[in-house]
Amino acid sequence: MLRATVRWTLAAVFPSTDRLPGLDRLDTDASLAAFMAAPAVIRAGLLGSTLAFLLCPLLTIGWPLPAFLLPRDALDRHAAAMASSRIYLLRQAMLMLKTVGGVLWGGHPEVRAKLGLPLYGPDPGTFRGDDLRPPRTDAEPPA
Amino acid sequence: MSTAAHAGSVGHLAFQPTGDVELQADYVVVGSGSGGSAAAVVLARAGYRVVVVESGPWRDRNDYPHSMLGAMRDMMPDWGGTVAMGDSIMPIVQARGVGGGTVINSAIMVRTPGDVLHDWARDHGLGDVFTERAMGEAHDRVDADLEVAPTPTGPDYGRSNAGLLEMLRSRGFEAHPTARNVHGCVGSGQCLQGCRQGAKRSTNLQWLPEVIERGGLVLSCAPVDRVVLEGGRAVGVRGRFRHPQNRQRGGTFAVRAKRGVLLAASATQTPLLLHRSGVRSAALGRFWRSHPGAACVGVYPEPVDMHHGATQGTASVHFRGGIGPGATLQPGVGIKIESLALPLELVAGRTAGAGRGLVDKLTDARHQALWITAVRAEAEGSCKPGLFGQPNVRYKPTANDRAALLRGLRLLAELHFEHGATAVRPGIYGLPDSIGPDQLHLLETPPRDNRGITWVLSHLFGGAVLGSDPSRSVVGPDLHVRGARGLHVVCASALPTTLGVNPQHTIMAVAQITALRLANAGNPAS
Repeated sequence: MLRATVRWTLAAVFPSTDRLPGLDRLDTDASLAAFMAAPAVIRAGLLGSTLAFLLCPLLTIGWPLPAFLLPRDALDRHAAAMASSRIYLLRQAMLMLKTVGGVLWGGHPEVRAKLGLPLYGPDPGTFRGDDLRPPRTDAEPPA
Repeated sequence: MSTAAHAGSVGHLAFQPTGDVELQADYVVVGSGSGGSAAAVVLARAGYRVVVVESGPWRDRNDYPHSMLGAMRDMMPDWGGTVAMGDSIMPIVQARGVGGGTVINSAIMVRTPGDVLHDWARDHGLGDVFTERAMGEAHDRVDADLEVAPTPTGPDYGRSNAGLLEMLRSRGFEAHPTARNVHGCVGSGQCLQGCRQGAKRSTNLQWLPEVIERGGLVLSCAPVDRVVLEGGRAVGVRGRFRHPQNRQRGGTFAVRAKRGVLLAASATQTPLLLHRSGVRSAALGRFWRSHPGAACVGVYPEPVDMHHGATQGTASVHFRGGIGPGATLQPGVGIKIESLALPLELVAGRTAGAGRGLVDKLTDARHQALWITAVRAEAEGSCKPGLFGQPNVRYKPTANDRAALLRGLRLLAELHFEHGATAVRPGIYGLPDSIGPDQLHLLETPPRDNRGITWVLSHLFGGAVLGSDPSRSVVGPDLHVRGARGLHVVCASALPTTLGVNPQHTIMAVAQITALRLANAGNPAS
């Protein structure tokens, strides 16, 4: 439920357009799961920002509804207005959503292919001493 | 259980889920970035047994991530979630892992400017230690070790770098290809994720293997809880292993150091470690400084492809001494100018707007060139322990800092247009998301406060600074922490001023001079 709410919010910040797929169309489950397991400071920032996005359409576009009840155009206006809000904390909350959403969206192979950017390989996540790490060909410390 | 014998045979010990590791050394160095590694290799070459203790894991180039998600997860403390708070929230860019910032920085190497050394001598009583000659010799050694050379301006230089170089020179301003510690760079633009080509001479590749070859040891995944002080003397460090992925706490470690302890844990961690260890000083955590910066994006008719080329290939210190209105030289708060290739993920986050308007703007991602300015700020902040032990950084750029930054951004906007950009995205709250050449005047009205600017802090200084005045410094001119013989600080935390240039080379030189003094003294803890 929580992850679905965050996913929906990030998709509202990075929606599909005529030319590029948005987070509403891209499979970013694994990346989002990683963020949901991030250190507390990141999770708190992401969840707090999501909550702010959901609850503040009244402050941004004057609609007394939570964001998930807004029609598509109003939702888009709400996102844009929050990004340029006079209230600094709202702008910062949107910056947090854009940072996380940007990492998910900008790293996605479909987006990168559409833009003609080099695709990323997998992130190994390994380190010296890690049991999961395969044998290496690059320099190891001398025994 | 003690695994000391095992550790001594392999040269590197990573996360230990259980047990107690006990080790002995001549020197223990806390932190393995530019300062820690530079000091460790000098001591190892002098024949001392050195143990380097690093809070993060040791990743080799095949371990490096490709994406920014991987870089945040694997290479940065708390996924890059460290911030400075003042009247605005400013992210702090730092690294975590063996090699520290040298793994994810742009490899820029700039020698310490002479005026900085003059200020250190005049205002901080350091003239007998950090002389021009000593610093010059240290820089020479580092240059040779790390293969420092100017970035070649050939096909792999990159269009964004070439454009900024050309435009600065067309105005008659000083500008140069950056000197970097790389060998065989192919311009993959992936410095921030760690160089998978192995071209960057980061200290996990260059100095720490030598420390191990000379009988030293690196402990990774090993955050230090405290420095052990006995009778006013530093005799070692203690801590507990922590798994880098699941953050599980492991066994304990203790390193006993016969001759001394060198701290190089960064400008956010060294002050906290000193505090946890019982060091008390009115100056601890204070005199914390930075080079806060911001970016100006130009949008061009043709692709720029800033992901191809040196990540930061062009720099200018023309306005290091101060910038006045109309990009004139005016003594005061100075700036430096650089090109910077950011991956799409980070460009997406810093582009103005949200929703379909934001995604529409990103269709021209390959047409963007990102140039930055960073301020040699006069602001002073602090770094103290937070409620949960995290760094609580308080920092607020002054009005002069903000004015200098705005003048730098205005200059960059002008240069973008002169270079053929069709639009500039200034990234300043209150201005249009995108401006044309006839709207440059809008940049003359600065935001009322720092909240109008998307600041980033990447160069940090202070918190445990060197100096002769006990009320204003933690480390004396004898290079010992006051009240703790045998305890030394060899990271950016010790630098008493900002530099106005990239600090990596200066940190390495200061660390090597400190280590050389210890090595030459024979028994520095006495």
